[in-house]
Amino acid sequence: MLEISGTPGNCWYAPGVSETLDDLEERINALRREIRQAVRARESVLARSLRAELRSAERAWDQALAVHEPVYEPGDETGGEPGHGTAHGPGRESAHERGDRHEAPGSLVPVREQVHQALTLLGVPAAAKMIVAVHAALRAGSLKGAQLASLRRDEERSFRTSPFARPYYLCAALTDRLSASRGLLAVSTWPLEQRVVGPLSPRVDFLTTAIRVAEHIMRMVGAGEQAPPSAQRLLSRLAHNIPGAAPETGRYGRGAGLHLVDAGTARGGPEAGALVVDGFPGSDPATVVKAARAELEVHAAADTAARAEIAGRARDRLQDAERLFGGTVLGLARKEASR
Amino acid sequence: MDRLDRLRGPVPPRPHDARAIAALAANPGCARRAVLDAAGVDKDATAAHLGYPAPFGQSPFAITRGNAFESLVKESGCAELLRLLRELLGLPIPLAAYTDLGDVGGNPSAQVRHSHTRKLLDKAARDSDDAGTLYDHPLLRLEIAGHSAYLEPDVVAFRLGGRFHIVEIKSFAVVDGQAEPDKVAAAARQAAVYVLALMNTLEELGHDPRRVSHEVVLVCPENFANRPAATLVDVRPQLAVLRRQLARMARVGAIVDELPPELTFDLAPDADGVPTRPVAELREAVRGVDARYAPDCLSTCDLCFFCRDEASAEGSTDLLGRQVRDALGGVATVTEALGLADGSLTPGEGQEEIARLLRLADRIYAEVG
Amino acid sequence: MSTLAALARLRAVHTGTAQRLATVRHCHLSERPMVFIPLRLAGEAAAPLAAMAGTDPGHPRLLVVPQPRDRDLRFAFAAELAEILLPYFEGLQKATETVERRGAEPYERCVDAPQVIVPGRGAVAFVQLLGRSTRFRRAEGPYAVHPSVPVLGRWLTFLAQRAQYPGSSLLLAATEALSLHWATGQSTLEDANLASLVGWIDPPPGMTGASAAREAEDPLVWPPAGPATDPGFDTEVLAPAIRAYEETRSDRAAARVAEAVRSQLEPTWRLMWRAIGLLGTLPAAPGAAARWEGDRTSFTGFAAQLAEGGPPQPKRDGAVGAASRLARMERAQASYDAQRAYDDPLVMAAYRLTGEAFTGTVVATEPDRTEGEGRGRKLRPLVTVRTTDPVRLAPGTRLGTPERRGQQAEVVAIDGEHVTLKIVKGMGRGMAATPGAVPEAGERVCYAALTDEFQPPASLPAPEETPWTHGGPPPEYSPADDEPEEEWS
Repeated sequence: MLEISGTPGNCWYAPGVSETLDDLEERINALRREIRQAVRARESVLARSLRAELRSAERAWDQALAVHEPVYEPGDETGGEPGHGTAHGPGRESAHERGDRHEAPGSLVPVREQVHQALTLLGVPAAAKMIVAVHAALRAGSLKGAQLASLRRDEERSFRTSPFARPYYLCAALTDRLSASRGLLAVSTWPLEQRVVGPLSPRVDFLTTAIRVAEHIMRMVGAGEQAPPSAQRLLSRLAHNIPGAAPETGRYGRGAGLHLVDAGTARGGPEAGALVVDGFPGSDPATVVKAARAELEVHAAADTAARAEIAGRARDRLQDAERLFGGTVLGLARKEASR
Repeated sequence: MDRLDRLRGPVPPRPHDARAIAALAANPGCARRAVLDAAGVDKDATAAHLGYPAPFGQSPFAITRGNAFESLVKESGCAELLRLLRELLGLPIPLAAYTDLGDVGGNPSAQVRHSHTRKLLDKAARDSDDAGTLYDHPLLRLEIAGHSAYLEPDVVAFRLGGRFHIVEIKSFAVVDGQAEPDKVAAAARQAAVYVLALMNTLEELGHDPRRVSHEVVLVCPENFANRPAATLVDVRPQLAVLRRQLARMARVGAIVDELPPELTFDLAPDADGVPTRPVAELREAVRGVDARYAPDCLSTCDLCFFCRDEASAEGSTDLLGRQVRDALGGVATVTEALGLADGSLTPGEGQEEIARLLRLADRIYAEVG
Repeated sequence: MSTLAALARLRAVHTGTAQRLATVRHCHLSERPMVFIPLRLAGEAAAPLAAMAGTDPGHPRLLVVPQPRDRDLRFAFAAELAEILLPYFEGLQKATETVERRGAEPYERCVDAPQVIVPGRGAVAFVQLLGRSTRFRRAEGPYAVHPSVPVLGRWLTFLAQRAQYPGSSLLLAATEALSLHWATGQSTLEDANLASLVGWIDPPPGMTGASAAREAEDPLVWPPAGPATDPGFDTEVLAPAIRAYEETRSDRAAARVAEAVRSQLEPTWRLMWRAIGLLGTLPAAPGAAARWEGDRTSFTGFAAQLAEGGPPQPKRDGAVGAASRLARMERAQASYDAQRAYDDPLVMAAYRLTGEAFTGTVVATEPDRTEGEGRGRKLRPLVTVRTTDPVRLAPGTRLGTPERRGQQAEVVAIDGEHVTLKIVKGMGRGMAATPGAVPEAGERVCYAALTDEFQPPASLPAPEETPWTHGGPPPEYSPADDEPEEEWS
């Protein structure tokens, strides 16, 4: 009749022995109240110890509930009894389904290898968010932003311990002050010119990213594969910010391919009848490449010159490790003074 | 200005962010706030120690949403922002340079970052071709009561046709062309702080401050989607109020000079930063500078509950808000107004008219109430 | 604010309890109001977090969005809210009455209408935004939602628009309804806090209104009535609960979010019914029933429009629509102000203070005085009133009187404390006044320069003839699937 969620065998806390659900709730509420009081009175030490207490009480509550809680069937009316709150929405599922959900089919490829793949495809330094988006769109992987957080630091440590022991390192992009650019990742095997960031480089790299993503989609289509919707979505997002790349001008134009939301309502508000992928008009990869190239042309000369200048300075002044992971302001200033 | 340092006690002055500076303009008549802010006193800690913790806080959800929206607008060298500026102001395609003035490596001091900002702005103001277009995280400075306050650099400045503009990114939604007026006003006040700081910087560098546009680009999510949209907001009125208030604060010295020389708001924190100043003593010190409480303080000043209680104890009509004060023709206390109403108090000079009205109101109230 | 209202606030400060600003209730109070308390996720425009709703104080329905950033869960919430509200709206359409009109076809009108009561103005704005974010949705195609969602959106939009109409009671904000009838010893800003307002009006035994109001400001004792939640609650309770749900998507975690928001909603739920009880202690003003009739007509009309399959309300009014709406609102405001004054001596008092109205005792009358000759001869009685009110009325000014609502008088002369009036309307056709039609000497009377008459609507072009200076004719409405929200990244 009713399934019991959770595994009673794992239960380290025996409800009913000491505290009932009601008691626990009362205690949890009291603790939350005390914490908020402590926070308001700026008593951080007290708040911290109360929080620890709260967490253990909440754990106990979860455990107790796991034993007591029936799994709701859709349409199950549960009244207003505390502890059996009404959970709503499609989030309901049985304990069995839940067990699988969390362990998404993980990739066997290590994180750094996945990042390397994405960066290699792009060929330009990229922020973690873009790497994750590209990876998700093109490799159907499960890379998470958080996994990239410490990557650069780990790579630097590894490099400093035994330099050039690995075929490549995930390293920094360098600003015109020769320090590591905040948040950008690059590949150590790239020439310095590709890894430095002049004033126009963010734009150039953005346009290049759009071109690479579009070309990749075209290759997939050419090979008879269907580009995943996430790839189309990424392309549309990129195209949105490139003049002439998104279908028609402006944000709500009409273009070919993809699903037509409503063909019969062309007249009316400007938002009528647009082709929409996640709020953006669908984009044609070839158009994106063309438009991005056109803007790239405008910036290319100035950007190349700026990069060459920065790269030259970097070669001049930085040691190997600094070339990959950035110089420190102090170190650079000292060097400047001694010249 | 060591007098101000003495008022604050041996702790570094509170940094002013644009929000705090904008709030100064909210109640320009309050000497207490002017003195505490000029001295860089931590009002939040002061209020908490007095037993009147400030009633505000920011929800982590609001912070997360704000950060997420800002990073969306700024990612990939401000790709979204470039599109918006191209659409709104016709920014030409070649002008796409992006310089992150905050990205200077390591963790240098505010002075270092400010001088970096100045150098770049100077170069840009000379209109050299390679001086860039978008400047993210410029570290600007504003003189407040003789102190240099560095502003939290959470704006983008950009240059077009020799003019500089400030871009303010806010995560409140504009639905069908309308946003909550309070939020737009607050954004305009904050943007005005940056505009003024940028004007001052240019002036110091010997450039024409009028090259900073008083039209600010406000970027907000449109409707219920996460999609940014830009609007121009004229902040001239906010600039005027801000200038006036800063000028007043520059004269805060006059107020300070009249305070007893031994007066201090020092919380006397111990090694762990826990205040040890006797509360009664601190209360007396704070009360030593006159406040001008208004209900609006409840959303802008850390000390609001303390001042409200004080106004309440004094039976001040300020407690009831501007509308009531206006209706009472400026009668200062509840007792006085009620005395005029029931006739037990003879109206002073200039109070005849309001006294007549109050007596009539009192009579009618008794008749029908 | 009138001097009278200011004085009432001073007295509230002095006595520690709220003071009456009205002797009768100026809003309609339904026998079965729908209380609706929405909560929104901080930082979001219209992301519902939870709501408590229902018509039975003992059985609130709790709706929860365990992850408010999840688009599907949001629309699941809207569908659930529709399950509660739509049957309420539909049930009230069943009983109708026939309204006869002079010179026009009779029509059917619902005998009752819905009344949704929310805590405050913020909730009204939220209703409007929720309506806006749901009424253009579709039940098929991409981003399909439950068919009830767009219908709910249109109802919410209707209610929010009607709430702007002066004197309408279809969607009431509790704080505004209470503030209309009581003055507290705090500022209007602080009156927006429902708990503190109710504290002033009805403090718990042993407490003054002032101290009850202070206590009500502690979010730990009285959670905010929404739609914004307490930031401390968000940090300490809600954020960890939502995170846990996000990680596990389990019923248990959803229950934890539900319990968290329930703790914030339940005190307000009780408070809302107390507020309704307080309003119920006042006898209804005659004008309230008349205005409710207007609400019923409006409700009937909207229900019919919906049934006929009309399009959802446009995002913006066209120029003509906006202008005629503005004119309508102005007339409604003037008539609402007049009705309240005539219904309530305390409201009238504000006009007496400014000299636009006066109360006094009749000292002399000429009840059978006539003017004109032959067939044009009309009964035009004179009445002289002695008053100590500071009358500021020019001769010729039209006056109404709460004692005889059908009549109108004209100021003839003012001489010190004596005001002479001529009754110019509502005397009938006879040449002798019917008994009681003219006030007699010694009677207390009140006259005011406020008219509550029907005025012809301003003449405006039809929408399709909007001049180009005002944007030209608005485009014909055609529905569009817009703002398909993308998830937060």
